[in-house]
Amino acid sequence: MSIHVFGIRHHGPGCARSLRVALEELQPDIVLVEGPPDAQEVLPLLIHEEMQPPVALLIYSPEEPKRAVYYPFTHFSPEWQALRYALDRQIPARFMDLPQAMQLAKHPTQPDSTAPLEDDIPGEHQATTTGQQKTSAARINTATAVADAQPPSSPDEQQKDPLALLAEAAGYSDHELWWEQQIEQRRDMTNLFEGILEAMSALRADTPPKDEEEAQREAYMRQTIRAAQKEGFERIAVVCGAWHAPVLISPGPAKADTALLSGLKKIKTAATWIPWTNSRLSYRSGYGAGVTSPGWYEHLWTAPDRISIRWSTRAAHLLREQGLDVSSASVIEAVRLAEALAALRDRAMPGLIDLHEAIETVLCNGNPSPMALIRDKLEIGERLGQVPAEAPTVPLQRDLEVKQRRLRLKPSTEIVTLDLDLRKETDRARGQLLHQLRLLNIPWGELQQVSGKSGTFHEVWKVQWQVEFAVAIIEANIWGNTVETASTAFACHKAEETEELPAISELLDKVILAALPGAIDQILSILQKRAAVSADVHHLMGALPPLARVARYGDVRQTRAEQILPVIDGLFERIVIGLPGACSSLDDDAAQHMLQSIDKCQESVSLLNRDQQRAEWQHTLRQLMEKEGIHGLVRGRCCRLLLEQHMLDEEELQRLTGLALSLAAPAPQAAAWVEGVLRGSGMLMLHQDGLWRALDRWLSNLTPETFEALLPILRRAFSNFQPPERRAMGEKVKNLSTLPTAITGKQGSSAEHGQDILHQERAMSVLPVLAQIMGVTLHGN
Amino acid sequence: MTTVDNTQTNHTDNNNEKAAPQDVLRQHAEQQYAEELAELAKVDNRQRPPNWQLSPWAVRTYLMGGTLPNGFAISPKYIGNPRLIEIAVATLATDRALLLYGLPGTAKSWVSEHLSAAITGNSTLLIQGTAGTDEQAIRYGWNYARLLVEGPSQAALVVSPMMQAMQAGKIARIEELTRIPSEVQDTLITILSEKTLPVPELNTEIQANKGFNVIATANNRDKGVNELSSALMRRFNTVILPLPDSMEEEVEIVDRRVASLGRALELPAEKPALEEIRRVVTVFRELRSGVTIDGKTKVKTPSGTLSTAEAISVINNGLAMAGYYGDGTLRSHDLAAGLTGAIIKDPVQDRVVWLEYLQTVVKERDGWKDLYRACNEVL
Repeated sequence: MSIHVFGIRHHGPGCARSLRVALEELQPDIVLVEGPPDAQEVLPLLIHEEMQPPVALLIYSPEEPKRAVYYPFTHFSPEWQALRYALDRQIPARFMDLPQAMQLAKHPTQPDSTAPLEDDIPGEHQATTTGQQKTSAARINTATAVADAQPPSSPDEQQKDPLALLAEAAGYSDHELWWEQQIEQRRDMTNLFEGILEAMSALRADTPPKDEEEAQREAYMRQTIRAAQKEGFERIAVVCGAWHAPVLISPGPAKADTALLSGLKKIKTAATWIPWTNSRLSYRSGYGAGVTSPGWYEHLWTAPDRISIRWSTRAAHLLREQGLDVSSASVIEAVRLAEALAALRDRAMPGLIDLHEAIETVLCNGNPSPMALIRDKLEIGERLGQVPAEAPTVPLQRDLEVKQRRLRLKPSTEIVTLDLDLRKETDRARGQLLHQLRLLNIPWGELQQVSGKSGTFHEVWKVQWQVEFAVAIIEANIWGNTVETASTAFACHKAEETEELPAISELLDKVILAALPGAIDQILSILQKRAAVSADVHHLMGALPPLARVARYGDVRQTRAEQILPVIDGLFERIVIGLPGACSSLDDDAAQHMLQSIDKCQESVSLLNRDQQRAEWQHTLRQLMEKEGIHGLVRGRCCRLLLEQHMLDEEELQRLTGLALSLAAPAPQAAAWVEGVLRGSGMLMLHQDGLWRALDRWLSNLTPETFEALLPILRRAFSNFQPPERRAMGEKVKNLSTLPTAITGKQGSSAEHGQDILHQERAMSVLPVLAQIMGVTLHGN
Repeated sequence: MTTVDNTQTNHTDNNNEKAAPQDVLRQHAEQQYAEELAELAKVDNRQRPPNWQLSPWAVRTYLMGGTLPNGFAISPKYIGNPRLIEIAVATLATDRALLLYGLPGTAKSWVSEHLSAAITGNSTLLIQGTAGTDEQAIRYGWNYARLLVEGPSQAALVVSPMMQAMQAGKIARIEELTRIPSEVQDTLITILSEKTLPVPELNTEIQANKGFNVIATANNRDKGVNELSSALMRRFNTVILPLPDSMEEEVEIVDRRVASLGRALELPAEKPALEEIRRVVTVFRELRSGVTIDGKTKVKTPSGTLSTAEAISVINNGLAMAGYYGDGTLRSHDLAAGLTGAIIKDPVQDRVVWLEYLQTVVKERDGWKDLYRACNEVL
């Protein structure tokens, strides 16, 4: 009976290669792998022919799916190779880490679902975080992923990274690089694991386990080994993070470990396989553990020989696809340069850095920008894995898969733009599915703003699948077993919880887009209930536009407008009643706010286009306009809205303008009125001569001080117009006095006459000079 | 034609009877750093490419500085990313031609001189690229008197630095490659790919010996240059030399260069305080990047490059002023004229930029009052 411990680095192709060789040589009768025993059941699926890495084991708590942990694997993960070896030869393979049932029980709350992504991949925990905060921990995390021991709970450890010490001793400043060159790129594998074990034993000789959790994990591993021994296995192969290797060689007596593990709480967990992506294996996505260059590692794993030549050629092909000239001669030179660089840096073969510097220098002519492309496409090499259909999934996931197949919407990590024609049934169903998923917080697709011509018949989506959706789906499963039922239940639940009317009506809008009849009825009734007790006219008015949109355009999506109209009527009644009261005694900011609400309401009324409603609304506007004590801005706006609907004739406008701008009215209020009237399109106002004349008179009668005080407001009122409009207005005002006017002529004549005299006197004084210049004689006086 | 002839003959003559090194205004790299090169050669026991004086490792140490096993300190020649130098050295080791590309004043020629000094011990095989550079400067010319008397012969041939480098297995340097007319640039193609230079008049050819290579420099700022054809570009490995990354790096570069130049020019003033260098570098960096170091104020950018090399010459100029007209210590009024001259390249636009900068940044800064007053006096 013998125990063989293989200390590895997760996702290390060199380790994976040597592990394979070592296992072939050893011919073990059981393989124990550091990983969650919770996943023992789904382990056999690993050799299923539909299984395509990168994939991840997902362990989650069925009651609270947010508490989840991923264990990503890919072809070149040593664990993957070890498990494959065992399963292919039908010898027992077991996970031996502390079950997540116990680990998750210890971390009761995870604030959000991304937390486990960063922390809880036990296979990837670093040996020591050198006191960095979480933000900077990512680098450290992965850098020391090889050592694999650090639980997430103690990020503040002030300890020197043991691997860094080793690397320093070897003369490397970057221990990641050291490991890469010493272990992963090594082609001669003899005695690799003995070497690792020896180095780690030296490191751990005077370092106790980092904390209780690490001690418990290692205790559990030893217990698993003991159990295997007891069962009578002869050659036990143990595959674990290099850091743990020394403490697993000889398990010794079980007593201490049993004590350590007693009294650990457990929760229920479920395990499944989910597809994973290459970019999630890398640092960049903020997933704190893994490898920077999965594409490069995969290349190291798959390329049989001539690694740098194949890599440079792939880079050249990639650049050619992008239309950059790269000749074979350049590729030859790039490889030569990479090799010279490696030699200069005392390396046996070019590493990724050497290759990339050579590619940048030779293939890109020193220009760094194409390197981003090579980094994305080659170094990371984005790819989505695939798991067999037999993998245990929640019913919702199954339902989603059926729908995806039926609608021919394949999940992909690339960003794809979908243009859906809602008149076609499949496209409509696709849009509805995407909307339903969005309701469930699974933003697979993002609706894009549609440009004018495609109109309401089109929806343009940007779709991109993300691996975390697997968790979101499991989480959403508590709401129902199909996408429709889950989203219906979830939407209703959300509506119940929401107090604010506009939010509910937004939700209603979404539910209608997602075509969930069950939810529509319920949310409508909730909306009605809330509206009945809502005292805030703003909220009522804010809730109106989405409803009006639905009522007007709903039929495109075959939603009946009749359901909604009663609700709109109810809301509208309340608005009409509440509005005058809500408009009294507003300060400037509140008036601005009210203005927006009134505009929204107006928009809805014109959208619905119902005569009775419009009459009622116009009546309300008129009421507001004429009521004293209402803010000038609101009154001005009402005046403008009525004018736009041709409810005011010129005479009335003249009167209103005069009234609002009369000297008795406080000047700021008058200015606010002007702003209210002028806001919006300028062309309509251009032809209201009376308005301009009144404005002109009011302005010229202001005292200089008041004028200065009002100038900002006036300027603001005019600032939204287009320059041509402003110019037209200027021309208009300039020519006001010369315009033949029927109505205002008599009223303004005396004042204007007085001004004329004044001007004439002044004008007379320049006439002689002018006459002299022009060489004419001056007639008259 | 004759002028070309004369200059080339003179050039060769100069090479033959070298002036005593200590009398020349500026020594070649291999003369100035002869001791360092000798020490490096003594300890360098690694493999050398054919005809190289030093191994690539030693060349890197020569450029980047370091301490030899016997305790001898090598001064850094290039302060910046060592990877760039490694790429450059590796390029030359693979007998590919090297193109150093970058803004004016980013040490392109400096690196090229030191690379050839370290690799071949000779940095003088230099072709200055101008709009008037013709094929003879790159290939060979004729001594017409002899040509008329004797007809075409080896003796009538006037060899170019390129030809010399090929024969001796040394490195030829081409400065400002992009200023050379395109059709003249094309003569390089055969030299670079086939390493041979045909002489049809004598029915012979010059084949390059091992160790021959070309280092070209070109700047990417100037307009109206002759862009390299892709055929030629393909024969070069391009290394782009950047402006210094950090303030500290740039201060160190200026400090080092000023010290060594001051020594060479025998300026009477004492070594400038680091503080003054820091001020000049700050002004240059701020104007170059368009924002103050603290990131709080935006400033306009003048039309010049404001490279590190210019900062060095401003300080040097100031040192001379201080030495001859001042009290021997570098003060702000010694710097003012040089600083103003370096920044105002366009008398109208740049003047406004500089004035604005003085008013908004220099005037407000603690302890910079003297500089403000001095610069205002000059303007």
